[in-house]
Amino acid sequence: MDLTRRQAGALSLAAMLATAGRASAAQAGTIVRSDGQPQNLDPHQIFDVPMMGYALNTYDGLYRYEGNPPEMQPWLAESHTSSPDGLTWTFTLRKGAKFHDGSDVTAADIVYSFQRVLALGKAPASAFLPILKPANITAPDATTVKFQLDKPYGPFLAAIPIVAIVNPRAIKPNEKANDWGATWLASNEAGSGAYKLDPASYTPIERLDLQRFPDHFYGWKDNPKPVETVLYRLAHETSTGVLGLMNGSIDMTDSYLPTDQVEQIQSSKSARVEKSTSMRVFVIRMNNAKPPFDNLNARKAFAHAFNYGGFITDILKGYADRDGTPMPNTLWGFPKDAALYEYDLDKAKDYMKKAMAEGAPMKRPVEIHIQSQLEQTNQAAQLFQSDLQSIGINLKVVGDTWANITSNTAKADTTPDMWIHWVSTYFVDPENWVGQMYDSQFSGTWKASSWYKNPAVDDMLGQARGQVDQGQRQALYEKATKQIVDDCVDIWVYNTVELRGLSRRISNYRFCPVGSGGEIRWMQLT
Amino acid sequence: MSFILRRALLAIPSLFGLLVVTFLMIHVSPADPATTLAGDNATAEQIARIRHQYGLDQPLAVQFVRYVADVAQLDFGDSQYSSRPVATDLLGRLPATLELTLVALILATALGIPIGVVAAMHHNRWPDITLRLLSVAGVAVATFWLAIMLQMFFSMRLGWLPLRGRLTDGLAAPAGPTGLLLVDSLLHGDLTVFTDAFAHIVLPAATLALGGIATIARFTRAGVLDTMSRDFVQYARATGTPRQRLIWIYVLRNSVLAAVSQIGLLFGGLIAGSVVVESIFDWPGIGNYTVQAILTADSKVLLAVTLLIGVIYAVVNILTDLAQAAIDPRLRERR
Repeated sequence: MDLTRRQAGALSLAAMLATAGRASAAQAGTIVRSDGQPQNLDPHQIFDVPMMGYALNTYDGLYRYEGNPPEMQPWLAESHTSSPDGLTWTFTLRKGAKFHDGSDVTAADIVYSFQRVLALGKAPASAFLPILKPANITAPDATTVKFQLDKPYGPFLAAIPIVAIVNPRAIKPNEKANDWGATWLASNEAGSGAYKLDPASYTPIERLDLQRFPDHFYGWKDNPKPVETVLYRLAHETSTGVLGLMNGSIDMTDSYLPTDQVEQIQSSKSARVEKSTSMRVFVIRMNNAKPPFDNLNARKAFAHAFNYGGFITDILKGYADRDGTPMPNTLWGFPKDAALYEYDLDKAKDYMKKAMAEGAPMKRPVEIHIQSQLEQTNQAAQLFQSDLQSIGINLKVVGDTWANITSNTAKADTTPDMWIHWVSTYFVDPENWVGQMYDSQFSGTWKASSWYKNPAVDDMLGQARGQVDQGQRQALYEKATKQIVDDCVDIWVYNTVELRGLSRRISNYRFCPVGSGGEIRWMQLT
Repeated sequence: MSFILRRALLAIPSLFGLLVVTFLMIHVSPADPATTLAGDNATAEQIARIRHQYGLDQPLAVQFVRYVADVAQLDFGDSQYSSRPVATDLLGRLPATLELTLVALILATALGIPIGVVAAMHHNRWPDITLRLLSVAGVAVATFWLAIMLQMFFSMRLGWLPLRGRLTDGLAAPAGPTGLLLVDSLLHGDLTVFTDAFAHIVLPAATLALGGIATIARFTRAGVLDTMSRDFVQYARATGTPRQRLIWIYVLRNSVLAAVSQIGLLFGGLIAGSVVVESIFDWPGIGNYTVQAILTADSKVLLAVTLLIGVIYAVVNILTDLAQAAIDPRLRERR
């Protein structure tokens, strides 16, 4: 076959493109994960699901949650004791743990880390600020750390794993104007975790690279084929992430795959879906300070008008556990005998009549704010809208963003009538859900945006917070939760089943609701 | 030269106006950056402290004056989202967006003008009708749909082109000078990077170009049809000028003025359109960065992006005027 020069050129270009285009055959020891990066890389500034997915790999804490349901494991600390009054907590460190620069992790570093969290005062500090003063964190010797609390605080131990231990020797040279190195650590790393960051690789909302740290204190004997390199390559669109998983260019997606993708991925040769019951409840909030939601019968009318079964079975394809309370059904403090509001439009109409007889303006158009970029909040609102319409309630769906809504929840009159969100696992304690969602002292935060005020509930939650005996705390949380459900403060829909796409090359995936299974050190590559 | 200078000076008040309007719009929106900064689990006191720390509790006028003073020294502040300097992150991403937009623009022009001419030459016959139908479809089709279809076919089914990204992991981008991978790799003689970057840009650029092809083709077609009926064309025909030469040189030069001003407008449109394209193809440009800033009410980033796009618009407008003057000498004299 005779080719002209132009034809030959075109052919060789096509051949080159075809080579470049093929999904780069997975490199040995390397995985590509497409889930979100934290807003910045400082674990003392940011505290959310993407941060946990990053910090569990690059940093260590005194204790760590592992397993599902999560249990606290000794981590940088070997053990701890607490005084009977719950005010003094003493942690003993393990020996031999090293930071990524090779220096030892000492008690003074733990003190520095907790003081830094308090000084920055960002999200991870919220559990500690009300009960702990910086001067009351001390290191009597190189392996002992002592915390002296202002008042007993039940969730203290549960909140300990929140604090990532940082290396002051790496941070201090980079401090600017008493900023505790906040600007520097936002783009760098100073931990002791199982993986090290390559700071040059970091571009926010695009990419970062991690390398295995062979000297990690936990050792690697349990894992003969660990992941050597982790490439974070954010997939901005779910569809692209799923396609990448199927063609082998992505090894790990986020854990919120759309339920309609599960079957397609499961049928592929190279990928699978891990399904794990989490601790992340889906809530439709009602602004109890605004009519008609200040009326119990009105709230019950709304609660009976949501099609829980249809939403879970048809829209979520069954990948969710019905949970009619604000507490994850897998956590202690969940009341098994709480009332359950089922989907029943006749009951909804009855409650509506009662509410109207009591003067509640049920015919007022009601707004529900959704988080536009989260399709599921839209689906829930649309479903709700059609059912409410059939009983004569006019629901308007308003597209919104997290930033907008959470700013508006600072005041009762700017808080939307209704809005939809999840409450994830920030720390594994009922305080994270029922405590911070329904104690009226937190009104004005997004978590407590129902503007609910019941002195009896405030009292129970305060008591539960103020002691360390788990048996007594459990009884109090169960009682408080039942009361909140009886008061029908919000509409509680389900506890999440997380769906994460994984390459079949990865085995030994371990899910924990804290970090959503993003901890790489357990994974083995085949 | 004095023309360029005059135009550049005129752009400054427009840009200042743009800054004022954007600043006001951002602060009218209820989203409170302090809430975002404080994080998900923050208490009301923490939020108040952060609002004070970042000067967000100051009167609007004071905040604005401070901001303008900083911008005048080319200090765009730190992103509230990433705590990094906005200028660094924005300039780091700009070349990717410019490269994508330029390639799309070249593609749109290179295809749009000939299509328009061919359509005009076969006025109201089947090539014209087909091309017109296609160009309506080109404007009407949803970008994200097209993008996903292209991914499904060329990346998944045929495996010819990469699904996403700008360069394969493991390949090092050449060090400067432009930041445009296609240009830099050629300057460094690095063919591996060039081919890889080329393969990566094909699908996003084609997606982005589609609407532009249709627009340019439509304007070229109208221009050519208009010119064909003019006296000088009749005269040239009568004197026996070869048909191809007549159409592709004399007629075209007299017909593309409208299309050229469209190309200038398109450039801005393409940058806006690249938000969707960048997101689907995970193209590391300013689009995703901007979307994130909107979602998190990151005002410093939004202001800087608006200003940047304003500057790009101003530059493109000046370039468009220059191009038109080059094509049509009469415009030069009028100036």
